[in-house]
Amino acid sequence: MFTPLNIILFGVIALLGVGFYGLLITRNLIKVVLVLQILIKAVILALILAGKMSGNLGLGQSTAATVIVADTIVAVVGLALGVQVRRRFGTLDVPKISTLRG
Amino acid sequence: MPGILVTLVIVLPWLGAMAVWVARNERPQLQHTFAVGFSVLTAITSLMLLKFASSEPAIHLALGKAFGDLTFVPDGLAVSLTSIAAVVGSLAVIFSVDYMRGDQQLGRYYFLVLFFIGAMTGLLLSGNLLFTFFFWEITALCSYGLISFYNDDPKAVAAGIKALIITQVGGVGLLVGTLIAFTNLGSFQISDLLAKATSLPATALSLIAFSFLIAAAAKSAQFPFHVWLPDAMEAPTPVSALIHAATMVNAGIYLLARFYPAFESVPAWKTSVLMVGLISALIASLSALIATDLKRVLAYSTVSQLGYMVYAIGAGGVVASQFHLLSHAVFKALLFLAAGSVIHSVGTRDLRRMGRLGTRMPFVRNVFIVGSLALVGVPILNGFWSKELILEVGLEHSPIWAYALMLIGAGLTAFYTYRMVWLVFFGKERDYLNVHPAGPAMKVSLGLLAAGTFVTWLFFGGLNGLLASTLPFHGIEHESLRGMVASIIAAPTTWFALLIVAVGFGISWLRARGFALFGGGWLNPFVESSFGFEFLNRLFVKGTYQVAEWLSLTQTGELNWNILGIVSALLVVLIALWLGA
Amino acid sequence: MNLLNFTGLITIPLISSPIVYLAGRLGTREATLHGRSYLVRVLAFLAVLAAWMPFIISVQTLLRSGAQEFNISTIRLHVDGISLLMAGCVLMLGTLVILFSGSYMSGEVGEEKYYAMLLAMMGLMIGLVSAGDLFNLWVWFEGMAVSSYLLVAFYREQAASLEAGMKYLVQSATGSVLVLIGIAMVLAQTGTLDMAAIAEAISGPSVNRFAMLGAGALFLIGFGVKVALVPLHTWLPDAHSQAPSGISAMLSGVVIEIGLIAMLRALAVLTGFALSWGILLMAFGALNILYGNLLALRQTVVKRLLAYSSLSHIGYILIGIGIALYSGVSLGAQGAFFHLFNHMLMKGLAFLAVGALMYGMLLKNGSHASLKINDLAGVAQRYPIVALALSIALLALGGMPPLAGFMSKWQIFVAGFQTQNTWIIILMIFMALNSVLSLGYYAPLVNIMYREQPSQQVLIGKPVTWTITLALVLMTLLVIVLGFAPGLMDWITIPASQRLIQLFGY
Repeated sequence: MFTPLNIILFGVIALLGVGFYGLLITRNLIKVVLVLQILIKAVILALILAGKMSGNLGLGQSTAATVIVADTIVAVVGLALGVQVRRRFGTLDVPKISTLRG
Repeated sequence: MPGILVTLVIVLPWLGAMAVWVARNERPQLQHTFAVGFSVLTAITSLMLLKFASSEPAIHLALGKAFGDLTFVPDGLAVSLTSIAAVVGSLAVIFSVDYMRGDQQLGRYYFLVLFFIGAMTGLLLSGNLLFTFFFWEITALCSYGLISFYNDDPKAVAAGIKALIITQVGGVGLLVGTLIAFTNLGSFQISDLLAKATSLPATALSLIAFSFLIAAAAKSAQFPFHVWLPDAMEAPTPVSALIHAATMVNAGIYLLARFYPAFESVPAWKTSVLMVGLISALIASLSALIATDLKRVLAYSTVSQLGYMVYAIGAGGVVASQFHLLSHAVFKALLFLAAGSVIHSVGTRDLRRMGRLGTRMPFVRNVFIVGSLALVGVPILNGFWSKELILEVGLEHSPIWAYALMLIGAGLTAFYTYRMVWLVFFGKERDYLNVHPAGPAMKVSLGLLAAGTFVTWLFFGGLNGLLASTLPFHGIEHESLRGMVASIIAAPTTWFALLIVAVGFGISWLRARGFALFGGGWLNPFVESSFGFEFLNRLFVKGTYQVAEWLSLTQTGELNWNILGIVSALLVVLIALWLGA
Repeated sequence: MNLLNFTGLITIPLISSPIVYLAGRLGTREATLHGRSYLVRVLAFLAVLAAWMPFIISVQTLLRSGAQEFNISTIRLHVDGISLLMAGCVLMLGTLVILFSGSYMSGEVGEEKYYAMLLAMMGLMIGLVSAGDLFNLWVWFEGMAVSSYLLVAFYREQAASLEAGMKYLVQSATGSVLVLIGIAMVLAQTGTLDMAAIAEAISGPSVNRFAMLGAGALFLIGFGVKVALVPLHTWLPDAHSQAPSGISAMLSGVVIEIGLIAMLRALAVLTGFALSWGILLMAFGALNILYGNLLALRQTVVKRLLAYSSLSHIGYILIGIGIALYSGVSLGAQGAFFHLFNHMLMKGLAFLAVGALMYGMLLKNGSHASLKINDLAGVAQRYPIVALALSIALLALGGMPPLAGFMSKWQIFVAGFQTQNTWIIILMIFMALNSVLSLGYYAPLVNIMYREQPSQQVLIGKPVTWTITLALVLMTLLVIVLGFAPGLMDWITIPASQRLIQLFGY
């Protein structure tokens, strides 16, 4: 049961669970970006795992590498926006910055 | 030749609309000229088209799989209604020259009116159901634009949107019927539907029949969709005359008349049509009895008269309904335009504030009385012949109680008409501001229409001939004018009807003299709520807004809730797929 | 030769993006551009005009020889009817938006970044529609998403704008994560990410069917965030109303639709489930239409109303495609693609017209406030052409003939009725009634514009430049022409819809 592959699979699922839980619960904008990063890491792991499971490890690794780069960009943009939000709103509390409704 | 005429009769008014728009609001005289010029040209073209009526398509263009062939068929039904639309249209435009003088947005007004006339003729002449629907929707659009023409008045805007939504819901009926027909027949051609109606599966044919009935009822303001027409009186009066008396509301009658041979075998269809007409005629007459707004009385009267036409079709009298449609277009347009003169000069629509205008506006009084007599059905005017024809058909082919009720309706018509004429032109004198007589353009239109009420019944022979020879599926028999006149004079029902009319007049005359007979006060709550339908209308509107309010709570703006939305959607989809697999 | 043509379509916008940025930036230290802004605008416009040439050549090639495949080492580019339809939409709207933005964005802080990001987004979108590899699809998708985050949050000084951008980023990133999980699952089962190869391998014995359904669900929801399926749409009203008007037009007009194409490409490789996707798309479509219409009724801010209306129209497109996937007949997809093109035009026109009004009444007076419905009172007196353009756009969106929206909806109706399936016919009636309901919020806007009493905003309104007017007039003409001659788009919607059916295995 505890083969290396299965351990990684559990790890992926655990990280995904933590990530989605965090997205649903977190009230701080920076923490939200962090949680997104956790999710991304889960996905990267999943891609490598998938590569291994299907025998095409090279493909898995290359996609994982590309995802690392792509989501770094997303993280940078997210954090930049977070900085601007802090400047305009004075807070990073998600409910306080939710002014648009209806 | 017919192809060119058909194209002209649709395109000329649209060119006129563009010309008026190009002329710009800074040059109103030019706009008036263009409008009158193009509408009169259209009228002449439509009259010329009468000569070329045939059941063969005048234009035939293939357009691709989903759109069918574009055909225009100038048969008797189409060209007679087109002439009515174009001629009354041009008279309404001529009237508008005086009525709309000085308006800031003349260009928009004339554009919408001319665009409407072109669309109406297109609707009538179209041989392809998709294009009937296409033009149907355009007329609804123009009607909406014209009802809410005075955009600063919230009542007008609300009335316009109400009319738009109700007639559009009817339009869905036309859409559904068209597409079911297309699915089963593979063609949008009206002639195909008429020819192969019996070969359609029974449920499909029933669906089409009743969907078309819904569309017709909504467009012609019949029960249960009658609530929009009285409110539509916020429109400028020439528009009320043109669209809401003489042309657009006839589109429903046209639809029913056109498809009658296809649907007459559908169980309960004819009865439903009969009932819709009957109920509309009665409740509208009752409402007209106590209405205090001059145009509303005329609006209710229109609903009622259309009810007569629908009733006639339900009883199988297609010719009778078209004949009455012709008479009604003329006398109702006359009444509306004359009312327009009155309203324009006095500045109010409220009957209680008018009185003794007959002495100050003799010409208008005279033509209004002519129109009223035609409406009531007094011999020799056109309304008499056509209404009697309908009653005769009704006696032969509809249940006796239905006939009796329609007869009573004729009495009610006399009652409310006398009341209306009395309150406006006779009765007590009131203090009011300047009352000026009608302008020259107004007089031209009014005079021509009044002359029409004496004369149009003479065209019966021609109309009947047109319909009989160009409508292959309707099985109409040839009947001459002389034959029709003879049968009406000979029928005892005619004398019954005249008796009831006299009774109606009598009651109204007595009431005017001060005898409080058959007071209508108890009717007030029923009429206010349009016999319960205004309540339904408001319920629907409020209900929609309430649901929208509840739903807007889901747009919380909070990120956590939004993510919840994403996650729950994922779970739902996964479960759905798992269950389905 | 052919390869170069098509890649020119992608590379011209992508390369001109940094060039435009540098042109605006080199040598200046100040935050604003001063004299450089003219250069930036002209360069951007020339770049997008230049991109039309490879587009026209590619279209000719497609019509002559059918779908093309190119391989750049291991990257596979796949150009078919769908690709060119979407590329055409992107180019057309992009050209008009850049023309419009010339005046609209003049004087804004960071103007060169706007054009750079817009060009990059266009290039990335065109790249997306030609992707032949699942992961490649995701990369283009992510690129498009990132450039759009920056564009939505463009007004850095506005708190609401940042809020909208932030929420959009988080939700879109969540969607991307879901897509990647799906991709991982597909990779695990089939060992390849090339779309054609996956489609073959799926029917093999070693593939777990339930896992593929799961991957499909992930694709549906993951890309669905971008397509604004209800209830994944919550970012949309904020993003579309807070973005600069040209970007609102792009977002509603092409970005959502490109997301839909990405979803369809991804779902297509999971062969054998077309029926399920068809039903799901129809269900989501119905939900979108109703939700979009009901919420639009309540809005007081014009751009937010238009954003909710976009939800509705995506619903129509989804239903059209759903019918096609369910029944295997391409007519539904043809109507959907035609509606997609029309919606790009109509919604783009609506947003640009509203933008023109905001420009004249608000921006020129130094205000970045949103345009409320009451501000529209009497607009026709001061801005007759803009008011006419907006009226035509709104009525077209409401499906009134003789405008474009009616014709595309009609095609979807015909397709629906032809399936002879009772539930689908009920869905069609539902769709028609909703179309009527939508008039309940479009019509009052038209009415308000033609009032005689102008609002305060109208009284202080400044005139609108000729570039803005030109963009509006061009789009209005197209909307009217397509309403009279719907067959004009058949040359591209038919190949696109047939290709879609083919991809799903019919």
